[in-house]
Amino acid sequence: MTEETQDAPRQHYTDKEKDDVFNNEFLPHINSMYNFGYRLTLDRDDAKDLVQDTYLKAYRFIESFQKGTNAKAWLFRILKNSFINDYRKKSKEPNKVDYQEVEAFYNSDEVDRQITPDLRVESLKDMIGDEISNALNALDVDFRTVIILCDLEGFKYEEMAKILDIPIGTVRSRLHRARQLLKEKLSDYAKSMGYKNADV
Amino acid sequence: MSQLSNSNPFIGPSGKKPTCMEMLQFILDNDASEEQKAYFKQHMDSCMPCFKSYELDMSIRQLIKSKCCGGEAPEDLVDKIREQITQKLS
Ligand SMILES: [Zn+2]
Repeated sequence: MTEETQDAPRQHYTDKEKDDVFNNEFLPHINSMYNFGYRLTLDRDDAKDLVQDTYLKAYRFIESFQKGTNAKAWLFRILKNSFINDYRKKSKEPNKVDYQEVEAFYNSDEVDRQITPDLRVESLKDMIGDEISNALNALDVDFRTVIILCDLEGFKYEEMAKILDIPIGTVRSRLHRARQLLKEKLSDYAKSMGYKNADV
Repeated sequence: MSQLSNSNPFIGPSGKKPTCMEMLQFILDNDASEEQKAYFKQHMDSCMPCFKSYELDMSIRQLIKSKCCGGEAPEDLVDKIREQITQKLS
């Protein structure tokens, strides 16, 4: 937990203040936290454990949280660290993205060539079931994470960099690649739903 | 046109003119200023590829927002958390 506690000076809260912070600043994020836990583990029970664990840690280290700062980003960071340190160790999910390759991709001219898969806005309208959720879950965990943080939770580069402990440049390239991969998956769904290759 | 590009708010300290793709990424990544958003909006009026990419990416985002938010956390989760806190920390 040293990472969560190192930058902020310790606060001194009374028990009542602790409860206030916990109830008013931490608990309102429970649904987002649960969803984040689920998208990381892809298992509802594991998500529950992860969220419980995160809230316990958050309470235990509540004095390193400064009132009025971004509680949601702080909680997301603890959850992500718990996932990596406690959960991922136990699981066998192979997870290594070649980030050098990603960076190289991003820094090359290829980015400008827009190799967008043939996916049309119209075909998205037919994805009324679990298509998008399945497509997202099929991405590598590091890619689905940035999509969730950015598209669903609306975090900015700086916040994502802090939550994930990676440089802003890596956030950018990871997001870029994640969007590309998601489109490829959606494009496959669209094709399997009977859409012919369309002009984009 | 030259006047427009002179006032392009995406141009950073390096003075390098951003590509369409780069501008779009700032917009999508929640990292554009109001000024940049306004500039890009205007830019899309005369740039079909940007308009199409933007429309597609925003539709995907809408879809994610409506289908991947996971709904509510299980009802007993908050109770369990409270219970554990009292048990372990009192
Ligand atoms: Zn353009």
